[in-house]
This record gives sequence, structure tokens and C-alpha cells, in this order.
Amino acid sequence: MSMSEGPKVLPGAETEKETIDVEARPKRSSGLFQPLVDKWNALPRPIQWLWLIIVVVIAYLLPILDIPILTTQPGNDWALACFSMASYALIAVGLNVVVGYAGLLDLGYVAFFAVGSYTAALLTSPDSPFAHIPYLWTIPVAMAVTMFFGVVLGVPTLRLRGDYLAIVTLGFGEIVRILATIIPALKGQVGFQNVGRPPGTAADGTPLFANSNGTPWYWLTLTIIIIVLLLVGNLERSRVGRAWIAIREDEDAAEIMGVPTFRYKVWAFAIGASVGGLSGALFAGQVGFVNNQKFDVQTSILFLAAVVLGGAGNKVGALLGGVIVAYIPLRFTAIANYKYLIFGIALVLIMIFRSKGLLPARQRLLAYGRTAYQRVISKPGTVTPPTPPEAEKGAAS
Amino acid sequence: MTLLELKNVSVSYGRIEAIHDMSFSVEEGEIVSLIGANGAGKSTTMKTISGLLNPSRGSLTFDGQEITKMKAHIRVVKGISQAPEGRGIFPGMTVMENLDMGAFGRKDRSGMSADFERVFTLFPRLAERKTQIGGTMSGGEQQMLAIGRALMSAPRLLLLDEPSMGLAPQFIKQIFTIITEINQQGTTILLVEQNANQALARAHRAFVLETGTITHSGTGKELLANPAIKEAYLGVG
Repeated sequence: MSMSEGPKVLPGAETEKETIDVEARPKRSSGLFQPLVDKWNALPRPIQWLWLIIVVVIAYLLPILDIPILTTQPGNDWALACFSMASYALIAVGLNVVVGYAGLLDLGYVAFFAVGSYTAALLTSPDSPFAHIPYLWTIPVAMAVTMFFGVVLGVPTLRLRGDYLAIVTLGFGEIVRILATIIPALKGQVGFQNVGRPPGTAADGTPLFANSNGTPWYWLTLTIIIIVLLLVGNLERSRVGRAWIAIREDEDAAEIMGVPTFRYKVWAFAIGASVGGLSGALFAGQVGFVNNQKFDVQTSILFLAAVVLGGAGNKVGALLGGVIVAYIPLRFTAIANYKYLIFGIALVLIMIFRSKGLLPARQRLLAYGRTAYQRVISKPGTVTPPTPPEAEKGAAS
Repeated sequence: MTLLELKNVSVSYGRIEAIHDMSFSVEEGEIVSLIGANGAGKSTTMKTISGLLNPSRGSLTFDGQEITKMKAHIRVVKGISQAPEGRGIFPGMTVMENLDMGAFGRKDRSGMSADFERVFTLFPRLAERKTQIGGTMSGGEQQMLAIGRALMSAPRLLLLDEPSMGLAPQFIKQIFTIITEINQQGTTILLVEQNANQALARAHRAFVLETGTITHSGTGKELLANPAIKEAYLGVG
């Protein structure tokens, strides 16, 4: 009998069981943020809420705090920069529904942003011949109109897959931009001045939501982002979210599991589009001016870069991506002209080292929710494999 | 009782016709095997039955109801479930999530729980690996998961597309034993295989497919004894 046998058997078996238990746990992602993510998931619910509230409060205070290292002054107004970051974050969250959840490559997302902007402009600007409504009403109207456009684009094109869909959406983006140029009612480069703003006056009699004052606009956008995140988060955990993820992973398999893939793809498109329209309407209101200049392909690509950079399929990741994509050119004005070059290099590096983005997508057991999931993984007797997995691999693979 | 019937079905990819004028039927409670070489049209036949492909001519009937134009996701609810070729599991989802997707079209919670138990009884290995990511499992385990997932819709007709593909011989035997067990529990099975030996031995009836046409048919035993089939598919001359 050798030294390694005998007394070592029991502890050996114990460690073996432990390693298998560890292995049986999901290994979705690893890397920089993984320890942080694991720690976060291990926290009890109330503590998580507490942290979230702290983060939200800090986010609201951001334009006032004007932290010296972070600030974009003197080159760019910090409050306006905050609004810009929030806009990009909102757009990224919307595009993430299409690209991240349902896996539909949309290269013309700026078109929905444009439709939202023009809807707000047409309904509030004195340059527009249409009936005028209060600015805040344009937000739901813009969402409805862009959702309609999303369905109109989606129904004929979502029968296509992969590359073909990407090409069609690219074309759609261009069509909207060109229509804005050639349709006389949309005023091309002249555009619409004095787009409406939410009501309210500051102490000195100037409008609260002035074009030059980013803070109230930022607060409005941040509030909308929180609402959108809650709604999208609920969708993600619902049947709809499961269907989207199944479609992203394998569309044929999803179809033969009973998922009406076409209908769910149109839904993803419509919801993504409406969030794009929403951010377009906010943007039009803040700038106060809409013309055909801001809706080019590069902007679409920049939106997509935000989602991919942050982590397609993870709403917090997309949010982060949007913030980064907006922040860097504003903070480092010296390199702002090279932003496409820099984002290009950044994307290549991300693809090499973190192919799923800064915060990779993760799913829990979607149907049964968090508590049931915890119960399943902690259920005694379920994770007791009699043989080490390595031994079976030879026979099984 | 006839569960599935194909009448004069032809299927084309563009101008290339992969299946010509095919007719056959599957009775309730049977295991029926379709065997044939690469490119014979086996998988095309399966996809046509599950609804991923549409026939250019002919008609399909399931349980007395015409389903030729029915969408794939509705056929699942009617009781046709497919374990696709090459496993086709959702690689980023866990075992539980994959199985859960199999029950996507169902609303009866109690029936679903019973089917979870059934799948875990048939495949104890899946029960051990509930929280493992599908894509990180071995080929054999993925195959089990694909079959288990297909069972989660409580199908009346289970379509298995090459369940033995890429598996070790010992494991193939195990998979076929489980297939027989599923059949004995009352599920009708249509099986497509290149592994003719096992597929014929387990089947009540079988068809041989050559370049999109059925060339032989009979009981599994008859075809196993047929000299022409022995030579072409079983490697004995």
C-alpha cells in the first residue's frame, strides 16, 4: 500500500466533490469585473437596493458635483456633457434590445432617432405647418410614431437573417436621412428652429429647460432612463426576454421549440425603435434645432459601438458603453476629431480581449425567477455526481 | 391509427429538388426509421415535418389535420417536436433554461413539472448538471439535452435527427435504449439515422431513402435481412 492511499482517501473524495460542485455552477463570463459581479450577486436583495439608491443619487448629483478629474470643462459645459452621456446611454439601452437581446444587427438605428427628433420638431416648432402640442406630449407621440416605423421596417425585412438584415437596415438609415433632405416639408439643412421644451420657469424668469442649461435636461433624461431600464428589465425576465435570447442563440431551434420567432423579432424591433424615438425627441428638445445633418451612418455605427463596447445583451453594459462613447470625445477634446479611429481601435481590442464587451451578458434561470433559481442550485442531492466528469468525457464525446 | 402522413411531398432548395414525390405514414405508437446516405434527403424530410421547410408540392397530415401550411411553432403545440441534427441546443443557456425553452408553448405548470421529472429520470446526467451551460457539455450530454428539451413540449410525435451522430459506440447503444424507453412510455418516434444497424434493429418499420426517393420499405427486421441493404448500409456484402 502506498503512502498516497489510506488516510488520504476521505479528504480526497471530499475535495473532489467540492470541485465538481464548483464546476456545476454557471460559468458565464470571466475577467475584469467578474469578482465584482459575483460579489454583487451574492449580496442580499435589500443591500443591493441600498447600493442602487446610492448610485442613483450620485447619478442625479453628477452635473452639480462637477468632479475635477471627470469634468469636461473648460472645453465643454459639464451639465450639457452629462445630458449628452445620458442621451447616448438611453440610445444604447434601446439598441441593446434589438442587437443584444434578439441578436438582430441593426446598422440604421439612427433613423429611429431621426424620426423621433423630427416628430418632436414638427409638432412644436413654429417653423412647422402642423398643429402644435405641448412638448412633453411629443415624447409618447414620438415613441408611437417610431414604433410604427419599426414595425413598417420590421415586417418585410425580419424574414431576412444576419448580414442581409444588416444591409437592409443600413439602407433604411440612409433612406430616412435622404428623405429629410429631399422632402420640402422637412426643410433639409434649414431645419426647424425653436423646438419646444417642457414647461417651467427659473427664479430669474428664464425657462427652466433652457437650451444652454443641461442640468434639468439631464435629470429628465436620467429619470426616463431609470423607467426604461425597469421596463426593459421586466421584459428581459419575462417570456418575451426568454424568446429573444433563444432567437439570438439559434433561431431555427427557437422556432421548433414553439417560439413564434417572427413576431418576437418584430416586437424587439418595435420596442428598440420606440426607445430610439424617445431619445430623438429629447435630443431635439434640448438642442432646440433639428435639421438633416446629424443622422448619418457614422452615428449609427457609433451607437452600435456603444452597445458592443459595453456588452451586447447586458442593459447595464450598454448603458456604460453609451456613457463612454459620449464622454471620451467631450473630455479629451484634443482627440475628439479622431474619435472614430480611437473607437475603432478600442473595438478591435475589446473583440480580442473581451469579446463580449466590458460587462458581458448573463442570464439567470429566466422562467422561474431568482428565488426558484437559488432553490434549484442549492437543492440537496441534486448536485452529487457519482463520477468525476473527466472519466465520462471519453465515452460521451 | 395514422398519426402522420406525407402524400406526394416534394421539397426544393431553389431549383434543386431534395425530395421527390415522397409518401409515407407513421402510425401512433411506432418507432419508424428513415435511413440513407449523406444527401439522401433525410434531414430535409425532418425539417419539412417540423415546419422549418415548406414543401413545393404535396401535403402533410398530422392526427387527421392538414398541416402543410402550418407554421413550425404551431406544430409544436399540436404535438410535433424535433431534436435537431447536430444537437442544436442553446449553447449559452443552462441545462434548466434549455429544458424550460422546450416547454415554451405550454401553460400547464403541473404537467411541466412532471415532464421535468421524466426527463431527469431518463437522463440522470442532466439532473446532475442542471446549472451547467449547455455549450460547455460534451457531445453526448448535449445530445441528451436536445432529446430532453424536445420531450419538454410533451410531444405525440418526436422527430430525432441523427441522435447518434458523432457519439462513441457505447454511448450510441445507451441513446437507442433511451429512445426505445421513450417510445414505450407512449411517444411515437420518427428517427433519421446513418447508423442503420441500430436504427433498423429498434424500429417497428423503416424506409430507405436514396437521393430524395424512398427505395425500400418494410419492418426493421425485413430490411435488416435484405441483402441489398446489408451491402449498402450495413457494410456486409
